[in-house]
Amino acid sequence: MIKKITYAVGAMALLFGLWGVYIRLFQGEQSANYGSYIGWGLWVAMYLFLAGLAAGAYMLATLDYLFNVPQFKGMGKTMLWAALVTLPAGLASIGMDLGHMERIWKVYLEPNFTSFLALMVWGYTIFLILILISLYLALTQPDKKPMKIVMWIGFVVSILVAGGVGFLLGGNASRLFWHVGLLPVQFPVFAIASGAALMLLIVGWFMPALEEKQRGDLLWLLAIITIATSVAKLYFLFADLTQSLYGGATDNVIAIQYMLTGPHAFMFWGVQIVLGLVIPVFVLAQPKLAKNGFVAGLMGLFLMIGYAAARILIVVPGQVAEMMPGQAEAFHGPKLTLAYTPSLMEWSVTSAVMGFAILGILIGMDYLLGYLARFTEAKK
Amino acid sequence: MSNPNEATLIEKYASEVFAGLVAPLDGVEISALAVDDPLAKEDVLMRMNAELKRALEKSASERHWVMVIDLRHCVGCHACTVACIAENKLPPGVVYRPVMTEEVGTYPNVTMKFLPRPCMQCENSPCTEVCPVTATYHNEEGVVVVDYDQCIGCRACMAACPYGARTFDFGYNYAEQLPVFDGAVIGGKTAAGYEHASQEYGEARKRSGRHESPVGNVRKCHFCLHRIKDGMLPACTTTCIGRATYFGDANDPDSLVTELINKPNVIRLKEELGTEPRVYYVV
Repeated sequence: MIKKITYAVGAMALLFGLWGVYIRLFQGEQSANYGSYIGWGLWVAMYLFLAGLAAGAYMLATLDYLFNVPQFKGMGKTMLWAALVTLPAGLASIGMDLGHMERIWKVYLEPNFTSFLALMVWGYTIFLILILISLYLALTQPDKKPMKIVMWIGFVVSILVAGGVGFLLGGNASRLFWHVGLLPVQFPVFAIASGAALMLLIVGWFMPALEEKQRGDLLWLLAIITIATSVAKLYFLFADLTQSLYGGATDNVIAIQYMLTGPHAFMFWGVQIVLGLVIPVFVLAQPKLAKNGFVAGLMGLFLMIGYAAARILIVVPGQVAEMMPGQAEAFHGPKLTLAYTPSLMEWSVTSAVMGFAILGILIGMDYLLGYLARFTEAKK
Repeated sequence: MSNPNEATLIEKYASEVFAGLVAPLDGVEISALAVDDPLAKEDVLMRMNAELKRALEKSASERHWVMVIDLRHCVGCHACTVACIAENKLPPGVVYRPVMTEEVGTYPNVTMKFLPRPCMQCENSPCTEVCPVTATYHNEEGVVVVDYDQCIGCRACMAACPYGARTFDFGYNYAEQLPVFDGAVIGGKTAAGYEHASQEYGEARKRSGRHESPVGNVRKCHFCLHRIKDGMLPACTTTCIGRATYFGDANDPDSLVTELINKPNVIRLKEELGTEPRVYYVV
């Protein structure tokens, strides 16, 4: 039942999203609400979220193929598939954000390697190829040496690309809120946390056929990972906020005030903290609830919504301080504002991306992975 | 011509502005013009024009364009902002040289501060470093330019610029809402024709749609390179009613800008970031 509902939600999200994609592709970016002062908005945040999800899913797949954690046995393929779907979804999100997405080939053929963005495009492309190879090997020769080698390379690359996203923001010395040495360190932790949340959802809701003991043990282990990463994330957040507020640098204080008390404070307190952290940690800390498939899946969903909100609350507050005092009032025109709430078109495009990811993961689990396994078996 | 004694006297006793109000001392006639004041010799525009022509005789790599803005002379008229928009046919939402206005003090000691902010043309420019496709780079003269046909519109340069000197072209046009009167010289079509004829980078681009560059690109001040090439000063410089903006070649030891930037009351914005701006402010 829950799978059918999820299919329906995914299909509706995709359908609603097609409108936004059409507007974006054929009418341009005027109906987006990001502008010249807050140039990166929802789509960039969703790219960070989905790319982190892909890296996290890959890291968890290594627990099956590299580290032989018994609870994760047999889960690797599914997580690799999830990575294969969420990474292109993230890249689609950032692709829609480009003023000239048709020129993306230039990053491959005419790259500027002093640009961290260019390095990230290359890094994610390599990562995507590694996911593909890993999945192929997982289907054909999961216990052989090539699989181990590729998974090791993929493991390292997944940490690097996850951390790289933090560097992409943190490397901007002019944005004090982002320019924190810990940011590239935090993102791989975020990635593991996101991967665990996704797995809670997948195992909790869509894998009832899994042997009962393994399912319970796996959910409990994922709950422990979630609690550990949540505590780590909370500490990072605490350290960031207190240090910045104590330091008192104007741009930092403006960014943090925006986050804690600004127009979207509910996103922080309600979504990121309560829905995405307090409730899941409280629920998952109780083994009985954590081992309940429906509850675990629901907590996975809450966690992921919280992580997505957290990405928005990293991207947007970093841009709300004026780069020059008086900038916002110096000249008036469309998109010259320090206020940002995603437009309906932006939500619609994100809806399409999420719909694609939801349907992609489900179709893969229900049909493609089984088909590919039979196909490769028959070939043998 | 006034003599050095007069100049010393005026520097000592009165500001330039109030010079005329100061009573003569011991029969000495006081002039508002100091002999060593480079601005006193001739209209600075004439001088800068001559210097520009001199600089253009050198090879591009030998020139080092800088801009100096004397904040004491800026009256906050925004003429430079408007001139820049007119010169570069900037669409709504794109601005290269806004003037930041700040009210300072509490009544009755209140005043206004004005800060014109073109692109700083940084020598260590964070914006060029982050561009994934080298669409923005230093040209031979050291000016940071944008290749609109190369730019993918990722806005990483916007995020990186510490001065907020870049804006994104979302494809708006001032004339798009105007009614069209067929056969008449007024209305949307005529206005649009004017609006579309940008000479930036000497490229004469048309704004023919919502997808063609520079729509979808990040845009910025480029010191009016297309004017410089033809021996004209940047639009902001020529239109400044307070003669507060100076432009020239810092490699020319006799240029006005060289004189100005070697004085102690000159600052650059956000020096601590190590960007080495080519725009100086006299304070």
